Amino acid sequence: MELAIAIIQDALVILGLVIMTIGVYGVIRFPDIYTRVHAASKAVFLGVISILLATVLSGGADVVLRAILIGVFLLLTTPVAAHTIAQAAYQRGEPMKTPGAIDESESGLPEKSDEPRD
Amino acid sequence: MTDVVFFVAVGWMTLLFSAGVVLVIRRDSAVDRIQALDVLSLILVALLVLFADSQESSYYLDVALIVSLLSFVAIIAAARYFGRGRIF
Repeated sequence: MELAIAIIQDALVILGLVIMTIGVYGVIRFPDIYTRVHAASKAVFLGVISILLATVLSGGADVVLRAILIGVFLLLTTPVAAHTIAQAAYQRGEPMKTPGAIDESESGLPEKSDEPRD
Repeated sequence: MTDVVFFVAVGWMTLLFSAGVVLVIRRDSAVDRIQALDVLSLILVALLVLFADSQESSYYLDVALIVSLLSFVAIIAAARYFGRGRIF
């Protein structure tokens, strides 16, 4: 039984590593900030959740409760942080370099400026 | 978790962390750097969780929770300041 749990833990940790590597590779390779936010907020976050699951499998009650707390907290805050970063980039007029990017807002993307504006 | 997997995971995660640090230094736009810092904090949380598993101690998880809390507040404040020129 312990051997089975250890094997499942190894598999979960390696899965998390692979997912996080894909996420960081996406952050490096994607053309603009609006697509990079996707790689950072979804792929890297899922890798962390996978590693948390591996910890939950073998730990006692204190470890399990803290791991659940971290998971729920990350689940709540990661989308908010990603949204705020994308909103800030749009307000400052970061250009969309992705091929076929469509801006559906009525005001349109503002000119890129060095000064923030309201 | 077996020792081999733990050492490989910690080494690989350190490589990812170094890639994140290089991103923070080399990106040309400030919002790109804020976003790379977000990635860095997530990788740090994963490292701390790995250590908590191998040492069988829950104190590392306390540190991971605090790191994720503080980095969330910092990312929100930096991004809002970058976008609007003020935080609130």
